[in-house]
Amino acid sequence: MRISSNTVFDSNVASMTQAQSRLLQTQQQITTGRKILTAADDPVAAARALDLSQSDAINTQFTSNRDTARHNLSLTESTLDGVTTLLQNVKTAAVTAGNGSLTVADRTSIATELSGRLQELLALANSTDGVGNYLFAGFQSRTQPFVDTPGGMGYFGDDGQRMIQVNSSRQMPSGNTGAEVFMRIKNGNGTFLTQATATNTGTGIVSAGSVTDSALLKADHSYSLTFSVGPDAPGGPDLTKYVVRDTTPPAVPPGTQVLPDPLLPPPPAPAVLGVPYVSGQAISFDGMQFDIEGVPANGDTFTVVPSTNESVFKTISDMISMLQAVPSGASVTNGLNRAMNHLDNALNNVLTVRASLGVRLNELDALQAEGDNLGLQFKQSLSLLQDVDYNKAISDLTMQQTALQAAQQTFSKVSGLSLFNYI
Amino acid sequence: MAGNIFTSALSGMNAAQVALTTTQHNISNANTPGFTRQEAMTSARPGVQFGGGFIGQGVDVVGVKRMYDQFLSTQVLQEQAQSSYLSSYHTALKQIDNLIADPAAGAAPAMRDFFSAVNGVANSPESIPARQTMLSNAQYAVNRFQAIDRRLTDIANGLTDQVTASVSQVNNYAKQIAALNGNIKRAMGSGGGQVPNDLMDQRDQLVTMLNKEVKATTLQQPDGTLNVLIGSGQTLVIDEQSMPLQVVRSALDPSKVDVAYNINNTTVVLQQSSIQGGNLGAYLTFRDQSLEPMRNELGRVALGMAMSVNQQNQSGLDLRGKLGGNIFHAATPRVEVGGFNQGTAVISATIADLGALTTSDYQLKVNGVDNYTLVRLSDNTVTNITSKLPQTIDGFTINLASGTATSGDSFLIRPTANAARDISVLTSDPSAIAAAAPMRGIAGTINPVSGALVSANTGSGTIGSGQVNMSPVTIKFSDPALPPQTYTVTDSSGAAAPVTGNYVAGNPIGYNGWTVNISGAPGANDVFNVVRNINSTTSAQMSASPAVTNVGTGTISPPSAAVTWTTPFTVTFNATAQTYTVTGAVPDVSATPIPYTPGSPIKLSYNGWTTQITGTPANGDVFNFVPNKSATGDNRNALQLAALQTTSIFSNGTTSLQAAYSQLVGNVGAKTNELAVTSEAQLNMVNESIKQQQSFSGVNLDEEAANLLRFQRAYEAAAKALQISNNMFDAVLALGR
Repeated sequence: MRISSNTVFDSNVASMTQAQSRLLQTQQQITTGRKILTAADDPVAAARALDLSQSDAINTQFTSNRDTARHNLSLTESTLDGVTTLLQNVKTAAVTAGNGSLTVADRTSIATELSGRLQELLALANSTDGVGNYLFAGFQSRTQPFVDTPGGMGYFGDDGQRMIQVNSSRQMPSGNTGAEVFMRIKNGNGTFLTQATATNTGTGIVSAGSVTDSALLKADHSYSLTFSVGPDAPGGPDLTKYVVRDTTPPAVPPGTQVLPDPLLPPPPAPAVLGVPYVSGQAISFDGMQFDIEGVPANGDTFTVVPSTNESVFKTISDMISMLQAVPSGASVTNGLNRAMNHLDNALNNVLTVRASLGVRLNELDALQAEGDNLGLQFKQSLSLLQDVDYNKAISDLTMQQTALQAAQQTFSKVSGLSLFNYI
Repeated sequence: MAGNIFTSALSGMNAAQVALTTTQHNISNANTPGFTRQEAMTSARPGVQFGGGFIGQGVDVVGVKRMYDQFLSTQVLQEQAQSSYLSSYHTALKQIDNLIADPAAGAAPAMRDFFSAVNGVANSPESIPARQTMLSNAQYAVNRFQAIDRRLTDIANGLTDQVTASVSQVNNYAKQIAALNGNIKRAMGSGGGQVPNDLMDQRDQLVTMLNKEVKATTLQQPDGTLNVLIGSGQTLVIDEQSMPLQVVRSALDPSKVDVAYNINNTTVVLQQSSIQGGNLGAYLTFRDQSLEPMRNELGRVALGMAMSVNQQNQSGLDLRGKLGGNIFHAATPRVEVGGFNQGTAVISATIADLGALTTSDYQLKVNGVDNYTLVRLSDNTVTNITSKLPQTIDGFTINLASGTATSGDSFLIRPTANAARDISVLTSDPSAIAAAAPMRGIAGTINPVSGALVSANTGSGTIGSGQVNMSPVTIKFSDPALPPQTYTVTDSSGAAAPVTGNYVAGNPIGYNGWTVNISGAPGANDVFNVVRNINSTTSAQMSASPAVTNVGTGTISPPSAAVTWTTPFTVTFNATAQTYTVTGAVPDVSATPIPYTPGSPIKLSYNGWTTQITGTPANGDVFNFVPNKSATGDNRNALQLAALQTTSIFSNGTTSLQAAYSQLVGNVGAKTNELAVTSEAQLNMVNESIKQQQSFSGVNLDEEAANLLRFQRAYEAAAKALQISNNMFDAVLALGR
């Protein structure tokens, strides 16, 4: 084939330019460490790499979210550790106070100690995270949650739980609200509350009782248990009997109007009629069971009402005022029993919250491990997509270098060939 | 006889001289672009009959021929036009490719940083530094969008200059070709049909240069002139006349230029599709098919981020306890008025639904009163609008703002073109970030003034965290033939059970904080949609519209008022009757106790707020939903803001912000890659065909060197013959001495 002299130059220059641009591309890959220099180098991988880096960034974000959650949970946990110790101390004080041999002065000093404890508890409940945010105020982190008001300890926080996104699908509560920890504690045994009426003169001491058959329970019903002491027949021996009455007003059927009754309402039907009393023997009705020990006097009344919420502050302050005011006797024992019972409930409640904190902290560790694994995977995939394989790149570079050198050398030889050299 | 030798030898010397000169000409022009090697053509003079036969009379030079192959040259022209088209397109697109996928310069890292900062706010909503970081990162993201858009605009402006330069280049070549046509015509006339080779070479070279700018076809005329056509047969040069192209401002989109030509004093715009190949074709195709669509895609990402963040921020309470406002400015669609419009209509457009929004541009043609044709320019899908504006199509609403349109008017609507340019951060106040949800639920009686809990509920009912509910709602009618006609209000999110009622024309129908009036006679299964108006700036405006498939005459009024998420409401339980009563809801529903099943979650959605109560509420238990005042530690709305990063807000809930941006990067990358490959392949094709053509027409210096020697020898030989003839003559003269 006939070759134009210019073609010799042109095609050599073109192929050298090409070789040079390839060499430059490889060289850039090596210096940047990236296989994909622009999206055009591998559009699919470039788009995928963007998606992966976002996933990786989000995963990293979750790690820092988890750190925040862990910090908050640990802070709550250590505060509640203090609360647990404090409640145990209060319990010890209550046990001491129950000792019949204590003098009035002894009890007053216990009351004083308890007042100190109450202030301590208030301080713990109003703990902050170190930058002024209250731990137990719900969403209202800048509002002091617990304030002593004339009507008792008031809670000024709310039920809000701050959730933290700890992985793509899990939002974890990063704390617990004050209402949950200190306020919403059921009194009595959790279902009902037994109480001795303050005017009782006998020595009857009522136990907290328990539920024997939840199917028989009548929700929201209150009862009274009244003792009568007297002979069955005139001149007979004094017997102690008790009557249980359901004092709940009858429910009004929806849609009916209750007319005011000029007469007294009919007395509630007794649930258990005149039953002989044996100290310590189980008294059971409507699925509930408790016992009364000691010697009740005639007319002594005990009430059974549905459990309501009672704050731990109220439990302790009630105990303090009782110790300060009331001389020893059955009412103190009843009161202390009740307080002990409530303290147990409060302690249980705190321990339950601590258990859930622990579970969450454990879960965080598991999620952390999972997140680390995921991060590793993302980084590996990203690296596969966009990082240069140095072995291959350097071998490519050497090859391209050799090719360019060869092209340059042959060019100088070929272009030197001319007939004009010989004429 | 000797005289015969004389003339013959002389003709040989002449021929050798011409051949030498031609060779010399070839050598001199070896590097002249477009030069075609020439060859002297000789032919033997007819012999004189002399007894025994014919005796040759020498040689005649009959002409100088250029070694030109029409087929090879045409092929080079075609390949060249395509090659310069591809390489110009590639060069232009590479600028964008480098810009958007760059890990530092693209918008993806900025969006990531923004959402990472949102997470920071969610982790500590009361922290001012965290909020400030979020605003700073918002500014950073905005800067990235604006910078990329500005770069695109710079490229577009550069393109306008390039188009202008290219057109003037084309006109210049056309003028020169026309002039050469005249020269060649006259030279051929005076040269008795001999071809003026070098003029032809010059003209061919000009045609080659022209082809680099725009693909041209040529028609050789018998008189030696060349007619040049471009595009779909538009004449550029005919005989000695050239018809110059012009650059004019586009009638459809004044921000762009079009190429036009002048015919009988009328300017006719050339369609982009009719300007193919060459640099000019590449510039126009790049602008219309790559640059502007990319601007739209980028705009859609910016718009999606701005509008979704705004909406979510409006759905929460800021640090001061006020309902949040807009964080970003979201641009409204760009509407360009056609250059030839006769009417006074002002058309405006607003975004209605991010999920339905495309990245295309739209042309709205007016056919008459309330009669329009909307063309989606990306795929030429036609939608006919035969009712009054406003109408919502593909996620944007077209309004007739004022004036009247005249039939034949046209408007160009670019829903997302301005978004990346105009996005900005509207607030510099860190408190304005609405991290808290607008409502909180309290399980118990509250002090109506302070909002503090007075007494806690005794039941086990607890309130879920709740959220703003602005999901689309449908109102569906039953068959009017079966009275009473009823309507059913259904919340698409399932936040509450459907509400049914008997239809009385004109009576308000309400749900979740708003009321509408439906009047007229809705047909069976007619549906009215009530959706959140995503353009409202403070609290949520709803907008209501009948479904296009409705058969009845029912009309719907605009919803009563904005939904205020902070309107308190109270749920009171009657455990005996197993009903609950809601007071304070808009519309008021307190008259009707609502039955529930104890133990299963109770879904509530009132005043735009949805939550559920789980557990078993006791008799008389009260759940209060009140404005979430001073909730500095609430991060519920911030969590939802952070979740927008991965929420699929585009393409009917299939594409997230990041995915939409990745799509853009993928599209640009794929196109650039395709062009890189094809332009390199095309370059090889061009080189190959040039090689072929040069193989025939190019100068080979070795060959010319050989020819030099050959014709030198021929000249010497002819001169020797002359000498011999002279000697012979001398011998004859010596005979007489």
